[in-house]
Amino acid sequence: MTLKATLFGATALTILAGAALAEYPERAIELTIPAGAGGGTDTSARKLALLLEEKLGQSIAVLNINGGGGSVGTSQFIQSKPDGYSLFATWNSPLTTVPQVQQVAYDIDSFTPIASTSETAYTLCVKQDFPASTGEEFLAELAANPGKYTYGNDGIGGTMQLAAERIFQARDIQAVAIPFGGAGETLQNFLGGHVDVYGGSISPVLPYVETKEAKCLLVTSAADVSALPEASGLAAVGLGDEETLLWRAILGPKGMDQAIVDKLAATIDEAVNDASYVEFLASKGEIPNVVKGDALRTRLQNEYDALAKVSKALGLGQ
Amino acid sequence: MGFFVDATTAVFAVGPLLAMFGATLLGVLIGALPGLNPVMAIALLLPLTYSMEPLVALAMVAGIYNGSMYGGAIPAILLRIPGTPASIATTFDGFPMAERGEAAKALKVACWSSAIGGIASAVALMTMGPLLARVTLFFGPAEYFWIAMFGMASVGVMVGSDAVKGILAATLGLLIGTMGIDSLSGQPRFTFGQTWLLGGPDLIVVLVGLYALPPVLQLAEKCDLRGLSSAQLRLESVPFAKGELRGFVPTWLRSSFIGIGVGILPGAGGNIAAFLSYNAARNASDEPETFGKGNPQGVAAAECGNNADNAASMIPALSLGIPGNVVAALVLSALTIHGLQPGPQLFHQNPVLVGGFMVEMLLTSVLILLVGGVTATRMFAQIQRLPGVLLVPSILVLMCVGVYVINGRPIDLWVMLLAGLAGYVLEKVNIPLAPIILGMILGPMAEQSVRRALLISRGDPTELLTRPLSAVLAFATLGMIVWPMLKLLRGKRKL
Repeated sequence: MTLKATLFGATALTILAGAALAEYPERAIELTIPAGAGGGTDTSARKLALLLEEKLGQSIAVLNINGGGGSVGTSQFIQSKPDGYSLFATWNSPLTTVPQVQQVAYDIDSFTPIASTSETAYTLCVKQDFPASTGEEFLAELAANPGKYTYGNDGIGGTMQLAAERIFQARDIQAVAIPFGGAGETLQNFLGGHVDVYGGSISPVLPYVETKEAKCLLVTSAADVSALPEASGLAAVGLGDEETLLWRAILGPKGMDQAIVDKLAATIDEAVNDASYVEFLASKGEIPNVVKGDALRTRLQNEYDALAKVSKALGLGQ
Repeated sequence: MGFFVDATTAVFAVGPLLAMFGATLLGVLIGALPGLNPVMAIALLLPLTYSMEPLVALAMVAGIYNGSMYGGAIPAILLRIPGTPASIATTFDGFPMAERGEAAKALKVACWSSAIGGIASAVALMTMGPLLARVTLFFGPAEYFWIAMFGMASVGVMVGSDAVKGILAATLGLLIGTMGIDSLSGQPRFTFGQTWLLGGPDLIVVLVGLYALPPVLQLAEKCDLRGLSSAQLRLESVPFAKGELRGFVPTWLRSSFIGIGVGILPGAGGNIAAFLSYNAARNASDEPETFGKGNPQGVAAAECGNNADNAASMIPALSLGIPGNVVAALVLSALTIHGLQPGPQLFHQNPVLVGGFMVEMLLTSVLILLVGGVTATRMFAQIQRLPGVLLVPSILVLMCVGVYVINGRPIDLWVMLLAGLAGYVLEKVNIPLAPIILGMILGPMAEQSVRRALLISRGDPTELLTRPLSAVLAFATLGMIVWPMLKLLRGKRKL
């Protein structure tokens, strides 16, 4: 803690001294993560920060701010100075999903998009005795029994729920959404038989696919996922346009210097494609995916618009 | 059990042993300083663990976690200031003991009880981990609802002499617990348009303010310029009288059992384990009226209960890959960074590492006796020699630093101050503070669980009672309410 306090002090001093762009970065960078320590976004960001520290030659101090599905940390972050010493490591939900259901004080224009880092799909899994063994059969079983099955998800209006409802709307399926506090809680209730379908990220459920306790029949990406050979990608069931991914990115506050953005984006690109990071991502069912600058802004905007449509249809939108 | 031999061999190396010793001592210090808490310390330590030898890193996690649970008892006993939220229940009897001049004895009881709770919990983790983890899966939303109700029913004993005031305090806790985004509807409640309130006020911030600030203010009231002389401290070691240890055995057994039970079920934590253990000890006692007035059994129950929560809270994380609290999530994250995949196969992927961590949880509990009993207690107790005019500002600064670092936002300092002033006023008008924390933690747990349970049953409330396990828990809750009444009636008849 004292370490953190010293860092803050040091940061304040150097702001007074003024920073020359040519030598960026010349002091420690603070990385805000809008989620609790120990979760998926946190682990990915911290591992990446280690590589970035090495490449940038400066230390990176991580600040976790949990709450509001990410909106608390995000709102706090946009207040920081766009000097390149305050960065934000997030997953897509606080930017594209949370604003659909909460009144937040930020939008995509409050940020300088730097680079996305990795992506993965959400998956829908059932127990071994479920009467379906392919993605198509799974959707048919749900469609044939409206309101019969419950599926756990990461929280009301969360990206996982919207990802599932996009598919369900396209197939006219009615399943009962049970919101939990996160993938771990959903998994616990799925394994205990309290909900019929696991809905969440791939990595927590992966070990149970290996032990044959769970069979994952559908992923929310258009393409298949190699870690889950039983699961169909959405393209395989003719719903390729309804893809929703879980992806992670590093952003800065609005108005950052372009030279710093370019330098950071190039460094992030290198770090993400480092063999050790690719291997780490693979163990969590994620793949590297680097989209930089304006292309990243477009990606955020497109996803925001698509999810706005779904949440309106669900009656969640504001 | 053969793999534990390998794991133990790996742990008995210079690195892990030194790390355990140093971290347990550091943990006691972190626990003893109000405002600093183990979760923050472990989160700050986490980046170091990526480059470190994993068993050394995990040794530090184990030491800090176990050490701090005991460390919290030191200011709780000496100054009535809980060092961590888990030591709130320790103040009930620990401080009255200290006022009677039995501080040394209270600390010794706390130290032994912490160690024994920690050992029992670690043994459970090592021997029954996968089994207990499977048991947790039987607990669905309906069961969690009843667990929360059971906890709240125990408020009855916390309320003190005036039931109305106790219920008022519990209600206040429930109200604070409703603040923030409602996770089932996505609607913000009582956030007054403030974004930082969307997650509700930070629990640790409120707890630090509410429970640590009032005693600090009381200390300030005394305007003490001299401090205690070393003679007044009377902290020379007090040997247990013959047969005295045996008197604690039933309390230790009961509290270990409760602590382990609370630990394996995510959502509650060490503070609830301590409250429930305290409550159970009081219910089982022949002289419940002595509780709250310096009964060593109360200290033993609370301290044993909060340490027994520790290793047990790792059970779902290590056996199922489902972290039940932040520390467990951090441990899993560290293991992931080292290339392991959390889940049922975790232990088989690297028995030496995972088993080694379990052994470290056990050894650091034993170490509490050594560093907590001799070194730390004497060392930290010396702070009492500081005159109040120096002690009060020092503690306030520590609390502010600790609270600020949690979320890095100044508004939390105001929240702490507000909670502290509220606590100060409430104590002045004899409203007990203990029920507030129960309301704050168990209220949201009860509300979310019952709504989830009803979503799953499509609105049919009978399912809350007809799943066999939920019926058992409901019955236990009823017993929790009726038992003290029966006991009271029977006691009156005797008179």
